[in-house]
Amino acid sequence: MSQLYRAAAPDGLIQHPLDSMTLVFQRSSGITHVIADPVPAIFEVMAEEALTADDIAQRLSASYDLENSGDAADIVFARLVELCSLGLVERV
Amino acid sequence: MKGLHHLYLTVGPARFRVASTWQKPLDQLAVLYKDYPASPDDYADFTVRLEPEKPWRRYIRPSVHISGDYWLPDAAPLPLGQSLLAAEMGMNLQMALGWRRHLLLHASSVEKDGKALLMTGLSGSGKSTLSAMLAEKGWRFMGDEFALLNPETGMVHSFPRLISLKNEAIAAMQAIVPDGRFGPLMKDTTKGDIRHIVPPLDAVNRMADTAKPALLLFPRFGYDPVLRDMGKSEIFVRLTQASTNYVALGETGFRSLTRFVDTVPTKAMDYQSSDQAEELIDGLWSQLP
Repeated sequence: MSQLYRAAAPDGLIQHPLDSMTLVFQRSSGITHVIADPVPAIFEVMAEEALTADDIAQRLSASYDLENSGDAADIVFARLVELCSLGLVERV
Repeated sequence: MKGLHHLYLTVGPARFRVASTWQKPLDQLAVLYKDYPASPDDYADFTVRLEPEKPWRRYIRPSVHISGDYWLPDAAPLPLGQSLLAAEMGMNLQMALGWRRHLLLHASSVEKDGKALLMTGLSGSGKSTLSAMLAEKGWRFMGDEFALLNPETGMVHSFPRLISLKNEAIAAMQAIVPDGRFGPLMKDTTKGDIRHIVPPLDAVNRMADTAKPALLLFPRFGYDPVLRDMGKSEIFVRLTQASTNYVALGETGFRSLTRFVDTVPTKAMDYQSSDQAEELIDGLWSQLP
């Protein structure tokens, strides 16, 4: 899992937290995405850096109390694949 | 538009030209909209066209095809006896597909003390009937179809077209509204029986007055009376479904709707009678800041 990922430029996305969900308006497509945990946290730890899924999982483990961190990288990878297909994250 | 009769109508911020092969629907509209502001010129935001589906259908089993600046390719024509309904549907269609100055919410709205109560929901939820009923009980009617949300100010603009009553709601409103404000009864339309009411004169005279959105309800008719909280995510998603131009407005629509969801108290309201609904609404309204 050495593939690097970077979140879309912050000025291209407007994030708006509601209750259990966060809205993400994507300026390039005009699409409103509704995201739930752990995706907002993934965005938060990625900031504007290029990171691997393992890097992101480690940062999540450091910031959040994850029960079984062994699966975290797999979960993060699955979410990154989805986010890439939506254009919210890009492979570097 | 050679050979077509014309009528210009102003409803809230929108101006319509209704062009028709037949004079009769325009005469009906002219009577029902007689207290609305006259058009000072021949400007219109939208044109609605009421024409026969085929040339011979002007005379033989006449049927009205709705078109205009915006139209639906698969819209079925209506019998000439329902031409008033066709005109109203045509105006709604132009707004739903073409209006860009405000975020459109498929909601009824009424106002009191400068604050607006909005009600949205599926067809049959009672939002139109409730707005008509409240309009007879001290509230200012702002619209039974679309609430127009100003993207810059967040205020609700009025769109007080004729109130469209269906089926049982017709008799219920006949009990409290004078005869002179009713349009013709149109039986057996695709939505059942339909009859229009002219909004109270105050609603027409004050249709340029905006109101601050103060309460949003999702009414549901036919269930034991109860008020329920709703999550903001659910409210947001349901309002995107209730808006005909949220996607078209892009970032402006997103910012308008998030501001609305963040600031306007919202409840789901089940009820079985208009009296129950009025009691629940009065209770909520009295608790507003």
